[in-house]
Amino acid sequence: MKIILPDNSKKTIDTGACTIEQVLIALDINPVEVIVSVNGRLVPEDAVATENDEIRIIRVAHGG
Amino acid sequence: MSDREGTSKITGCTLCHEPAVARIREPDRHLCAAHFIEFFEDRVARTIRTEQQVKPGDRIAVALSGGKDSTALLLVLSRLLPTWERVHLVAITIDEGIEGYRNETVQAAVQLTETLGIEQHTVSFPELFGDNLDTLLIGREAEACTVCGILRKKALAVAAEKYGATKIATGHNLDDEAQSVLMNMLRGDLPRLIRDATKETPSFIPRIKPLALTPEKEIAIYLFICNAWKVLPECPYTRFALRAEVRGMLSKLEFQNPGTLQHLIESKKKIEQYCTDMPVMDTLRRCRECGDPSSGDLCQVCRLRHSLGR
Repeated sequence: MKIILPDNSKKTIDTGACTIEQVLIALDINPVEVIVSVNGRLVPEDAVATENDEIRIIRVAHGG
Repeated sequence: MSDREGTSKITGCTLCHEPAVARIREPDRHLCAAHFIEFFEDRVARTIRTEQQVKPGDRIAVALSGGKDSTALLLVLSRLLPTWERVHLVAITIDEGIEGYRNETVQAAVQLTETLGIEQHTVSFPELFGDNLDTLLIGREAEACTVCGILRKKALAVAAEKYGATKIATGHNLDDEAQSVLMNMLRGDLPRLIRDATKETPSFIPRIKPLALTPEKEIAIYLFICNAWKVLPECPYTRFALRAEVRGMLSKLEFQNPGTLQHLIESKKKIEQYCTDMPVMDTLRRCRECGDPSSGDLCQVCRLRHSLGR
């Protein structure tokens, strides 16, 4: 699956079908600190993503 | 349930079976976009009602930085406005003068108020304190958040009074409030821990925090659903703040032990109850230089002016 990280960098990971929470933990990202869209649609952390999906991770904690 | 383009599986909304956008705890359920908005706005309305934050005839100065919390606050207050009697909103934006950061958020604030048709005023540090924050902080960047916090609070109070406000609404969320509880405990600052800025006194315009029970993450979800999420620059001084460390620590705990933030707020409320009528709070006096309410001989702003050599 294609991942767009909070800093807009991109990476592809090969995990097979797994939950968004599992993806975040694999990337060492705390699910409390981000929201995630899959193919442009906002999803909860227990949504299951698969190989064809594009996952965008957006950081919510913002200093200022 | 399949997504349009990929093959992801998304749980349906507990209430209507449309695709969920969020999972809410206590009670555990999944919500679609429409039900999430309803849930979010209901909780803010309930917070305001329970704590009697708004009264008929109020003119509420909304502290609007243009960042996510204040944007969500103004959006939700503007949607709740028709349910209140003779209540008016005015947005106040404080421009501290932070290069590479504040210009963009001030523009976002102005655009939002134009879209919502809400009166907006910007006041700047140079017009109130003689210089912008960047200049005031030269050589003392590590104190940025303390200096900025004191001056911003003063600027907001001055502007609120100037524009006839009876309340000041800020976008502090559950995460902010829990962080403040822990930071005050770490500093051993009991008076600050239990200080209640929401109480009406002749000296202060009361401050209200309608998002105080709303987690930061849910604010982001609300803005995303309302197409109001904007990627804005981060304050360059954030890295100096104790809050940044506390934020990381608490969000780890919240993930491992959901409810941690809420429990901290509940602990604070219990401490407040135990401290009622105890001589914990300093007696409120008047600053000998500017006459503002102060717990000491000099108010925080005048103490800061002295330390800045101004």
